[in-house]
Amino acid sequence: MDLKDQTENKRLTANVKAGGCAAKLGAAELAKLLANLNQPSAPRELITGMANFEDAAVWKISEEVAIIQTIDFFPPLIDDPYLFGQIAATNALSDVYAMGGRPILALNVLCFPTCDFPPEVLTEILKGGADQVALSGAVLAGGHSIQLNEPVYGLAVTGVVKPQEVLTNGGAHARDKLVLTKPLGTGVALLGTKAEMLSKSAQNVLIDNLTMLNGAALSQGRKYEVHALTDVTGFGLAGHVHEMAKASGLKAGLHLNDVALLPEVKELAQQGLVPAGAYGNRESYKTCLSYINKVPLELEDLIFDPQTSGGLLFALAQEDAEPLRRDLELLGLGASMVGEMNDLAANESAGLVEIFYHG
Amino acid sequence: MDKQIDLRGLVCPEPVIRTKKLLDDKSIIKVEALVESEVNVKNLARLARSQNVLMSCSNEGDHYRIVFTRGEDLPFTAAEEEAMKEAQRETQKQRVGTVVFIGKDTFGEGDADFSKSLLNVFLQTMYDSGHRPRAILMANSGVKLMDPDNPVLPVLDNFREAGCEVMACGLCLEFYGLKERVSSDQITNMFTICEYLMTADRVVNP
Repeated sequence: MDLKDQTENKRLTANVKAGGCAAKLGAAELAKLLANLNQPSAPRELITGMANFEDAAVWKISEEVAIIQTIDFFPPLIDDPYLFGQIAATNALSDVYAMGGRPILALNVLCFPTCDFPPEVLTEILKGGADQVALSGAVLAGGHSIQLNEPVYGLAVTGVVKPQEVLTNGGAHARDKLVLTKPLGTGVALLGTKAEMLSKSAQNVLIDNLTMLNGAALSQGRKYEVHALTDVTGFGLAGHVHEMAKASGLKAGLHLNDVALLPEVKELAQQGLVPAGAYGNRESYKTCLSYINKVPLELEDLIFDPQTSGGLLFALAQEDAEPLRRDLELLGLGASMVGEMNDLAANESAGLVEIFYHG
Repeated sequence: MDKQIDLRGLVCPEPVIRTKKLLDDKSIIKVEALVESEVNVKNLARLARSQNVLMSCSNEGDHYRIVFTRGEDLPFTAAEEEAMKEAQRETQKQRVGTVVFIGKDTFGEGDADFSKSLLNVFLQTMYDSGHRPRAILMANSGVKLMDPDNPVLPVLDNFREAGCEVMACGLCLEFYGLKERVSSDQITNMFTICEYLMTADRVVNP
């Protein structure tokens, strides 16, 4: 087989140990690494930084505008290069929406083994990313690329938001309901795709979810008074709900019967198609969870499943939650009301997540 | 027929795919596999369970040796089942939970009306303080809380919405003439009440 054949036949995901957000460093690992960083105390202009695992950095420029800065990249999670570019871009742009902002500028982050793939593959990845940036209304204005043995793609994104309209992890009120705008299970579903065990129709639903920008969901949320906001990505639903509860000084209740799942992921998880990142998240968060009822193993795996390009998680008043969920349904999103925030009882710590399930 | 397979160095989900292919072939009775990581072991344990085959695993230093054995409707081996349960127990700090048993419609003893309204205050306070017991069970005169006219009903609904079981003894509801006025999914029996009380970590009797 000559070199041309070899490069033409190689799958993007060949040799990728963990693609998408499953490649993220674990929460516990990260926390340890960041704890040793000697940072000067943050100036007043820094609205959000590394504390509370916020989705992006927000810096106040004036009373009218704050800039949002975020970066996201990962190895291929799918073989189609155009889709890979689209998904990586969608995922990176999401963190701007997760702060309540609007993306304006993006830079490519690219590592690529140019000897291992035909040049069209690289072009397609960049095209996918560029098209998605254009769709978001932002401008792709440059980037940086290096040779590396494994492909990596993503974006550094700048966004804007009014300082008074920044939406953070913290700020949820007790008795707020939690609304998740996309169904869960991308980690498992992507493994299923790799294993060719996911049906064509389920794959289509998966791709639709992975390439859906969170801007539309944010617009719907803005019609109501949102108390706290994050997006559900690498730490899984359990992890991100924990971070929101902790930052808000509350505990959360998650109702697994009500969480929307991507098609076929329960069956796939049952058969062991669970990404390593899910086990990592389980380790990181097990001490913050409390199981009120016994939960089937596959559902447990799914709440730890690292999400790529996951949905937004809103915390808002009970009376607004169902109207928002209905608005999101009309957009064709698989939105669900997944739980609520509660005051802490005596001896309970902020960030506790109670898991409910009825068999 | 027995099969041996070296799954080391394979990227997820190859180990699961290849093992599944072998296990799907019903003529293969035993599969011995070598894997690299604990993640592989955990994934294959799930596969084995879904396929209803026995799995045993031994750590051989830089790899694990896994043996899958097919049997006629065999349950998971005791050891593997125990290992899975242990793993689940580790994450699911399983609270069978706190059960609140309301055996009378008063809180403490004293003036009748005062004692009844005090019980309502207690339940409201319990809810507002964030307590979410596994179940709230009502029996004897305690079932009077389920009277549609009782002002405590919204609080009980809140507990129900938050995932707590809220139920009243059917026998008692009948005795106090309330059975017709309570929806059947909120009615329970002495057997269930007994089970909850006997398996609860803690029973609270206000």
